[in-house]
Amino acid sequence: MGTVLVHIDLDGDRLDRSSLSALAAGRAVATSWGATLYAALLVHGTPAARLSAEKHQAELGRFGADKVVLALSDTPLVPLWSALAGAWQAVLDQLRPRLVLFGADAASATELAPRTGARLGARLFMRARPLGGDDVELRDRDGGYVRSTDSGAAVVLVGGSHRTSPGDSGVDILTIAAAEPADSRVELVGTAAIDVVHSTGVIVALDDASAADPQIATEATKLAHLLGGTLVGGPQAARDKVIATTNVIDHNAPLAPELCIAIGTPAVDLAGVTSLVRIGPITGLHGRGLDGALPAPIARSLQQLRDELESSS
Amino acid sequence: MAWLGAGAPLRTIRWLDGTLAAAATFGGETYAIAAGDATWLDLAGDRATRAGVTFVGIETDLNLDYLGWGQVAAAAAAHLKAELILVDEASRPERVAEVAAIADVADAAQLTHVVSLSHDTDAIEAKRVAGATLQTIRVRGSAVLGLRIPGPAIEDYPTPTPTASRRRYELGEIGLDATVLAHRSQPPRANREPRKSVERVAELLAGHVIPGRRGNG
Repeated sequence: MGTVLVHIDLDGDRLDRSSLSALAAGRAVATSWGATLYAALLVHGTPAARLSAEKHQAELGRFGADKVVLALSDTPLVPLWSALAGAWQAVLDQLRPRLVLFGADAASATELAPRTGARLGARLFMRARPLGGDDVELRDRDGGYVRSTDSGAAVVLVGGSHRTSPGDSGVDILTIAAAEPADSRVELVGTAAIDVVHSTGVIVALDDASAADPQIATEATKLAHLLGGTLVGGPQAARDKVIATTNVIDHNAPLAPELCIAIGTPAVDLAGVTSLVRIGPITGLHGRGLDGALPAPIARSLQQLRDELESSS
Repeated sequence: MAWLGAGAPLRTIRWLDGTLAAAATFGGETYAIAAGDATWLDLAGDRATRAGVTFVGIETDLNLDYLGWGQVAAAAAAHLKAELILVDEASRPERVAEVAAIADVADAAQLTHVVSLSHDTDAIEAKRVAGATLQTIRVRGSAVLGLRIPGPAIEDYPTPTPTASRRRYELGEIGLDATVLAHRSQPPRANREPRKSVERVAELLAGHVIPGRRGNG
């Protein structure tokens, strides 16, 4: 019943963990729907890069892939549509997938997933997770879903942690060459590391009173770690050594991460946050535009939240 | 041209102002386009006028998905002969996907998560965030850029002010048929009432848990 395709990113020379989690989710869906599960890896087509990628074949099989696709590009690959489009389009043309999955936190997902949806005329789902027993569906945070009975294609960014029972490491590999060269209109001229990412990912923001409470500070640190987020706050939090000095946020600095958990009432501009959760007393304007709210006592709410997340992942 | 989207910002107009300010630096004939209801068009038109950018509103009650709005924005850009489309990506979560949809229809280069922008006669230089990396990219030719560039801090969400000078397009004027476009209508989604139990908040956050990671490190 059609093809489920999972895009696999590389993190250095290792398989990206978010992509592997998407592959595990894809396994659950493909088994339920009676579909074939392909894992596609885009690589620069040099002999060394190709050999390195072929080494990942067995691991992808163990994570549930029925078949592995190696898409070769003539140009070095960076997480930009312009660089990846040629090889990726060749995969889409060859497989004509009904469902395409990306790891929501994989490096190239933001650039690749929506454009893939546009190419396929597909519905798009952000941070969806597989739910259900025998009849698996993918459900996103807004209540949208993908089911086996749906017509048309769907592209899904899979969020969270998913595991699968070990599969067969001896899977077939299919090699495809890029359909078109990289887009010459876009030229990457440099990259630099960032200490604190203000405009993507997850941020956990503490106010000074919360930072001064050892129990809250410890729980906030654990929650940030679990979510791969950055713990930020004011200068007092840095003086208390709860956050790094590089993570001190000026009260006028605008934050626009995908998710922010505001603990207490941190003096930062949270207006550009996609999803906002507050923990602690909520008064007046602090209640506007919230996606989630948990009451004081803060330490207890944080601990219960972490327990719940750990037990469900 | 700046595409301001089909709905008012969720929490602040800072990012809307930032996109308009970035568009204004290009000078010449620069347009800001928004679609949707009259209240939103009044707000968008007011902010565009303050930024010195010509505003064009497309009044419609359609509720489209990212591909539908992508068609609308790309059709407006083609009508205005705009080669560069700046998208206010931060004001609403669905706007990120519209960058790709517009670029695909317009056969343009795309860049998401752009946090700063400069230009010379030859090319645009954009800095974009990719994970924990800042990429510096030069773009030539037609392109769609998703911006996360803030304007100045504003205390209150402003009251929309109708602008008499607002230009207005009907969908037909930019070559679109509302009946055909309606095939990209979105079903109503769950309301945005905040989740108030540990279980419900955990459901929201579960999609962000790093695979294989525990809170204890």
